[in-house]
Amino acid sequence: MRLIWDELRVALPMIWHGNPYLLSIIWFTLKVAAVATALATAIGLPIALGLALGRFPGRQFLRMLANASLAVPPVLVGAILYLLMTVQAPLGSLRLIWTREAVFIAQTILALPFIIALSAAAIQALPEGLLSQARLLGAGRLQLCGLALREARIGVIAAVIAALGTSLSEVAAVTIIGGNIYGYDQTLASATLFEVDGANYADAVAIAIVLIAMILILMCGLGVLQQQSGGIRMRFRSAT
Amino acid sequence: MSYIWDQIRGAIPLITHGNPYLMNLLWVSVRVAVISTSAALVVGLPLGLALGLGRFRGRRALQILANASLALPSVVVGIGLVLLLLPQGAFGSLRIEFTLPAVYIAQALLALPYIVALTPAAIQGLPPGLLAQARALGAGRVQLSLLALREAKIALLAAVIAAAGATIAEVGAVVIVGGNFEGRDQTLASGLMDQFNYSGQQPLATAIAIMMVVVILVMAGVLTVIQQRTGGIQMRFRTA
Repeated sequence: MRLIWDELRVALPMIWHGNPYLLSIIWFTLKVAAVATALATAIGLPIALGLALGRFPGRQFLRMLANASLAVPPVLVGAILYLLMTVQAPLGSLRLIWTREAVFIAQTILALPFIIALSAAAIQALPEGLLSQARLLGAGRLQLCGLALREARIGVIAAVIAALGTSLSEVAAVTIIGGNIYGYDQTLASATLFEVDGANYADAVAIAIVLIAMILILMCGLGVLQQQSGGIRMRFRSAT
Repeated sequence: MSYIWDQIRGAIPLITHGNPYLMNLLWVSVRVAVISTSAALVVGLPLGLALGLGRFRGRRALQILANASLALPSVVVGIGLVLLLLPQGAFGSLRIEFTLPAVYIAQALLALPYIVALTPAAIQGLPPGLLAQARALGAGRVQLSLLALREAKIALLAAVIAAAGATIAEVGAVVIVGGNFEGRDQTLASGLMDQFNYSGQQPLATAIAIMMVVVILVMAGVLTVIQQRTGGIQMRFRTA
């Protein structure tokens, strides 16, 4: 146990005194998580609504695909993005590889399955009659979507939290696409990897502590949400 | 797009001719998946059953803890474990830092939350009367556990699929704890990351990516066949 205590004794003051390197990583990580999750939500929610509410052929298959996409390893996403973005590749002329923009893109793509699959599942789990009743009462598409989102909001927020969680702790795609460049496009997770590589265990421990604190805050948010929900409530105005 | 086709055309022969480096990665990945998932099952199933069936105080708190552990970032697990396994660490005398056994341990630790958190969820999804009835008929703890396992088989195997998938896809802890040594403890996932680290050969990276997809599909396929063999929850249980 001595080693852990020794590392902690160096790591804790780093956090306490706000080491500038640490602060810059925290700031970039928060930016990545916020931007990626916001983008993924903006793109993913309409898709989730379409999957859950739409009545078109092949939606069953598309839902399955959405669920399967949750299981795609981030390293794989990173590798594919690399093959698309590297200099000779189709998107090579955009010069995205090893930039912050590439990290934003990679994390958005990784957050998307969580938003799409989990929101769609939450909407589909709504009480059977709710949406058909609204349809019967003449709700248009927009009204129906609004109703579904409002009623399934707990599930949707849980999906957003899951997306935030992955963008905070994901390391493979960020490293491949961003290059894990010191002081430029490192997130907390990839910086941990970087510091361990250089055997700077105290720095790595400090970064890991901040990372786990952020995850804990997120999880507490999720816990509060689940306590509050107490099942889905059936209040909705008649749609006229 | 010709760039990507070139990569794929370069990758296919590597796979079909059984490139030794590639085969070694595959073999390590399969071993890690099997050993770590089995270890997680051996440790996690009793814990999950206790959480799902037990009636003791603090069960809810433990359940919340188990759920939260699903969000544990892999790099955090990695750094925690490596500090224990380094020569100066608490288990340093084992001398397994940067070896395959360390990778087994890391991946088992990462697979464990899936088993521990999802087993109680699976049991709670059973028809409410089932377990109460078995209890009323005088089933002992072991009988009750076996009944719960058998009836919740479908959801349990979904948990096993998630756990095994994590052991194959995960890269943060493997790299930290194993050191990502080629030919020793490199898995498909960490090998894939390594290829981009040192601007390696892209056909090889593409080949690893293809192999990874195949391994995940085969793993999910086999487990799904096992899962679906009984087809639905059956209410067969003998009187105790």
